[in-house]
Amino acid sequence: MKVCMLSWEFPPRVVGGIARHCEGLAKALVRDDHDVHVVTLDFPGSPSYEDMEGVKVYRTATELGHPNFLTWVLLFNHFLEKRMADISRQVEFDVLHVHDWLTAFAGVSFKHYLKKPMVLTVHSTEIGRAQGLHSADSFSIDGIEWWAAYEASRVVVTSHSMKREICDHFHLPWDKVDVIPNAIDVAKCNASVDRGSVRARYGVGWGEKMVLCVGRLVPQKGVEYFIRAVPIIAKRYPEAKFIIVGEGWSRDYLEGVAQSTGHRWKILFTGFVSDAEVIALMTSADVLVVPSVYEPFGIVALEGMATGVPVVASQVGGLAEVIEHDRTGIFVYSRNPESIAWGVDQILSNYDHAKWLTQNAREKLHKTYSWEAVAMKTVEVYKKAGG
Amino acid sequence: MRDPSSGFSSGPEMPDELRLLCMLHNIGATESGRSLTLQQISEWTRMDTPALQSLLQKLKELGYVQFVKVDGADKYHLTLDGIRKVLSIYS
Repeated sequence: MKVCMLSWEFPPRVVGGIARHCEGLAKALVRDDHDVHVVTLDFPGSPSYEDMEGVKVYRTATELGHPNFLTWVLLFNHFLEKRMADISRQVEFDVLHVHDWLTAFAGVSFKHYLKKPMVLTVHSTEIGRAQGLHSADSFSIDGIEWWAAYEASRVVVTSHSMKREICDHFHLPWDKVDVIPNAIDVAKCNASVDRGSVRARYGVGWGEKMVLCVGRLVPQKGVEYFIRAVPIIAKRYPEAKFIIVGEGWSRDYLEGVAQSTGHRWKILFTGFVSDAEVIALMTSADVLVVPSVYEPFGIVALEGMATGVPVVASQVGGLAEVIEHDRTGIFVYSRNPESIAWGVDQILSNYDHAKWLTQNAREKLHKTYSWEAVAMKTVEVYKKAGG
Repeated sequence: MRDPSSGFSSGPEMPDELRLLCMLHNIGATESGRSLTLQQISEWTRMDTPALQSLLQKLKELGYVQFVKVDGADKYHLTLDGIRKVLSIYS
């Protein structure tokens, strides 16, 4: 099939899970002999066109700007449309695949122009990300999400909890929505790592515990509750060090929270680090904490499972489907520092049990979360969309 | 753009310098060839010059903004870290 994928982020423009999802899916579709064209936004230092392992990537500059976020989104969609117009003169697409509301305008326009089916993947919703609709922009984004789901022939989500959420919130017919879990590149997660030198690089000494938290520094990731768990964990494990990986607009606030715990010196904020460094950190840590309050899927938990680090996660959204409590990881209550500390203690206090959890997690991962499986299910959705 | 305080009673508010960073990003000041003078930024954002200067200084110290001198005037644009910061706010 000839697939036109639209995403506002694609490597090296990587922030959340969408870029990784699109890259993994696009490459797996190419390996399955499909012709995949990704139309996305530009990023400094990246070419406007490149062939990435068979995936044709078109990066588009937004030549006009505006300070307002929604106006900017509308403007970049116009430039995506222009680029797609050029491409569609040379390629006859079978299906358009839009990822989230940010590229919905261009996707819907081209659906009508090309008279081809449009598939929409909803990676998260505004009402979930913002934990409610609290501003005019939020209401507008919520409306665009509904409209994109209405225009789409099929809607894909990455977890059953997301399916329930969007069917309920957008009143979508249950059978219009397909659940296709995310996946990860297991080989990338099994890179050889010198744990000692990684730990030393981040100030974790011999015999000290390394407690890791990976996620964007935004409220939905619940990092605040992880930080508030630090004094409780440190009481039992005074030698523990806490590494927080990620960037986001609430970093200043979180650093303030860290300061208020009285354990600031034990907490390191790394900021943005490369994918390879995230894997090295996960491979070197004693425990990975995923304290999200809203998580449509939770790819970071999968990455942790693949690297062999024991995972402690909030029992919310997609995480509740990725992890089996006390079999492939430990569940804790969201927004609850005491519960997070309890979960970390379950791992740090029982090495054999933690090892058993990671073995089970790896087994489950290999069976369920491969990009080949995701690509196969996605092609089925494309076929259904084509009617 | 996210409402920074939404739904999180003890939660943070987005600092002014990050609001400015987002605006610079949306205007398109994302590389040296598209950098903007203080006057141009002031026109786009409707912020007064002293407030802008102080916020830009903060963003420079954080490594999110850099400036180039063109014809004696400082012109500002986002660094890679600055772009990543904005994207982390939007996703």
